[in-house]
Amino acid sequence: MSAIFGDALEAKIDFHGQALVELIAKAWLVVAAVVSFVVGWWFQSLRLTLVAYGASTLILAVVVLPPWPMYNKHPVKWLPVKEKPKNE
Amino acid sequence: MHNLLSRVNNISAFLSSCMMCLMGAVALSSLLYTADPKGTLTIKSASIKENEIRYYHRKQEMGFVGFKIDADLTPLFHWNTKQLFVWLEAEYTGSDGVTNEVAVWDRIVRRKEDAYLKVNGRQQYPIKDMQKTFNGVPAFNFTLKYNLMPHVGLLTYGEAARADGIPYNSTSRHI
Repeated sequence: MSAIFGDALEAKIDFHGQALVELIAKAWLVVAAVVSFVVGWWFQSLRLTLVAYGASTLILAVVVLPPWPMYNKHPVKWLPVKEKPKNE
Repeated sequence: MHNLLSRVNNISAFLSSCMMCLMGAVALSSLLYTADPKGTLTIKSASIKENEIRYYHRKQEMGFVGFKIDADLTPLFHWNTKQLFVWLEAEYTGSDGVTNEVAVWDRIVRRKEDAYLKVNGRQQYPIKDMQKTFNGVPAFNFTLKYNLMPHVGLLTYGEAARADGIPYNSTSRHI
């Protein structure tokens, strides 16, 4: 895909960022499911449940999909390039 | 999770699992609503007449019924109720010994505001038997039944009213 869209749509993040995104996404989806169930139950409206869950998912997408700076605070430090032996 | 597409993939996969659990919880929650509303059903008239089925150019006996329903089905509407299918069922044992259950009238209730049924009506579908006659049928039982259709979950059935043992006299052909 990167060949088509270039690096702009790759939106790469570092390893710490990936762990953070995973934690945020899982917790968010579970908590939002519980909350929207309770809200829908309270107001006796299944539509409200679905709208609430859909809206929270859209917010989650904004939070975790773009490569925000907070996900790129620990870039991988590569070793310096070794000098190649000259006699090869 | 390293790039955009893998994040979309990962999150949408977990979203669908959460969605399944959410819908499962909704379906289970409707089991907690155990309303069993009862109304009254009065059979005003019931008669057997010989009528012609024009399409087949054939005459056969048909059962007609006039009834009055007064049933408040609003307790059946909760957050997971999509609509109610309500019907009046005639139950009888035919002259061939087979017990038949036939719908003679029905209505679809889509809104809670329409769920208080006050109906003074006649059958929509005359009762016809395979034997073409109702000779030897001792009595009819009429029941008002409903089928609750949820948005998610299992269909549930119930009985809201009953009028048992409506006899008819085979000589006068009137119940």
